[in-house]
Amino acid sequence: MSQALIQTGTRLLNALGKHSDLIMQAYIGGTVDEQNHSPKVLEQLVQLGVLWRPESQSELRLKSAVRTLLEGSLQDERNRTINANIGASLASLKTLAEHYKEALHYNKYNESAAHMSDLTEHVYQLSESLSNSVRVLFGRITNEFGYVSSVDAKIRENELAQGQVTDLLSQLECFRFDELSEIAGSNRELRHLLVVSLQQRFSKAAQELSVVQARLIDLLGRFREFQGRTRLLKGYLLHMEQHPDFAPGNYTNLTQVPILFNQSNSVISAAAPDVNNVEHENDYQEIVSSLTHIHQRKGKHDEADEPQDIDVTAQSTVSLEKDELQLAIEDFFCEVIDSGQPKTALTYYEEKALGFDREVWMYQVIGGYQALADQEKQFFALDPHGENDKTFTGNFYINDITLGLR
Amino acid sequence: MMTEQGRVLSALLQGTFICQVTDEEAWRFLKNREKAQQLEPHLAMLNRTLSSTAEGDVFFASYLTIGEAERKMLTQQFQDTASNLVPLVEWLLLVQQANESDMPVTMGNAIRLNELQTTIEDTPAYAEQLEKISRYRMFGSTSVNLDGQLKQVFKRLTEMGYLTKPNPEKQIYLATGKVEHLYEMLRFIDETEALSLSEQADAAITQCSLL
Repeated sequence: MSQALIQTGTRLLNALGKHSDLIMQAYIGGTVDEQNHSPKVLEQLVQLGVLWRPESQSELRLKSAVRTLLEGSLQDERNRTINANIGASLASLKTLAEHYKEALHYNKYNESAAHMSDLTEHVYQLSESLSNSVRVLFGRITNEFGYVSSVDAKIRENELAQGQVTDLLSQLECFRFDELSEIAGSNRELRHLLVVSLQQRFSKAAQELSVVQARLIDLLGRFREFQGRTRLLKGYLLHMEQHPDFAPGNYTNLTQVPILFNQSNSVISAAAPDVNNVEHENDYQEIVSSLTHIHQRKGKHDEADEPQDIDVTAQSTVSLEKDELQLAIEDFFCEVIDSGQPKTALTYYEEKALGFDREVWMYQVIGGYQALADQEKQFFALDPHGENDKTFTGNFYINDITLGLR
Repeated sequence: MMTEQGRVLSALLQGTFICQVTDEEAWRFLKNREKAQQLEPHLAMLNRTLSSTAEGDVFFASYLTIGEAERKMLTQQFQDTASNLVPLVEWLLLVQQANESDMPVTMGNAIRLNELQTTIEDTPAYAEQLEKISRYRMFGSTSVNLDGQLKQVFKRLTEMGYLTKPNPEKQIYLATGKVEHLYEMLRFIDETEALSLSEQADAAITQCSLL
């Protein structure tokens, strides 16, 4: 018996694997395109209970068991059905427990073991379906019913989910732990399965469901608010279309101005720099140095910009007046040329009793010589008198200069 | 250095709306009742007081007592707001429709300019609507291409404080608490003038579906 069962199961799984493309297409598209697949394959899948034909005219569809398997494993959010039939599962649990106890009573250990494994399977199935339902609900909440686009559809989806939560909660009430513990009696294994394991699952599910319910109500409130806002916006535009000259009353003239329209204006403007504040000197300097261009006041330019008569008479020639010192130097050079004798600068200075500083005079003599054109320089020779510094070599103090002709 | 208190105070005195999106730190400061209370004397000195809208999530400074000067100021402000309502409402609806999620723009919503632009470019009706919106005096766009119009509209809205751009490098805008304030104002006008706007919208929708 079990050998045959294993073989059939393996054949079914192999068929699923072999025709996975077809099955996934059917899962996503809803129906099988019979033209693209050989009738033999389809026939085989129908016989294995993977596909079925709801009506003789309709196309082949996936069996719901396969679909549920895929939805469960893929965590597909389109899965909206929630198995809320806890009452029936509980009834079968009770029956199996009775079978097990009876078998034990008559010492049929083989039978009792089979019943036990069946019972374990059922208990775990029940807890899995509970946690699965909660997970599905949470999944839908977290993406805010993202699989439908309009807010209205979201509200409907939300209502469906709320109904399912209410169903689940009322089904959870079917758990009667006093009854279950009575059935379990003093049997340790039964007690563990029916009381401890189920109770843990039950309390967890109840807790999670209450969270789900609160979140759903929250979401519904948000959706309703969205709807309200959209209506408000659309209504306003419609109203403005129908009454283009509509203007809201001037609420600011009321004695009690509504807070919404009582918004004070800005009183703060930028502070001015205090240039006398020494602490800020550095900052100001930085600011000024980083200016790319300075806006200068234009106020005074305006007067100059006014039209004026243009004087076209000849401009008076500009005469460059030479400095007194420069004139004296020129005289000195001329005297050297006239006399043809070398003469020191200081001798000439004393002869003429000039009023300049002596040092300035000396510098200017050197400067005057250097200022001559190269050609003229050739006629003169400049010979400084002086001494080296006593301590530092390379420093030469000039006391006097002799200017002569070459 | 300014203390947190001083920073919040000056933000309020500048006439800005403080919400979680624009300035989270200041918003937290104001959410704390005790700390907010500390600001009151300073505000009162300048004839101002702390007010909030959108169920206490948006803060701003309002006048404590309203004299002649304040009333003049408020009237001017109100007239600006009233004339800006239609462009703003049209813009909100455009974004909502182009977003494809049918969700109205609310505080904290992210608007991706590039995505919005693609949708509007692909739908001539939206493009027309945008052109109409951008021509309002409030936005004052003279651009002939869609890109310029959209940028101008978003720039103006950011200047007016309805949007904020958290990252200057990215073209993602967040709706601020001022949008909530806008809804509140609409709701207020609806109630005070007994316009029953929602019913009008409903009636229009059922009429459409009957046709």
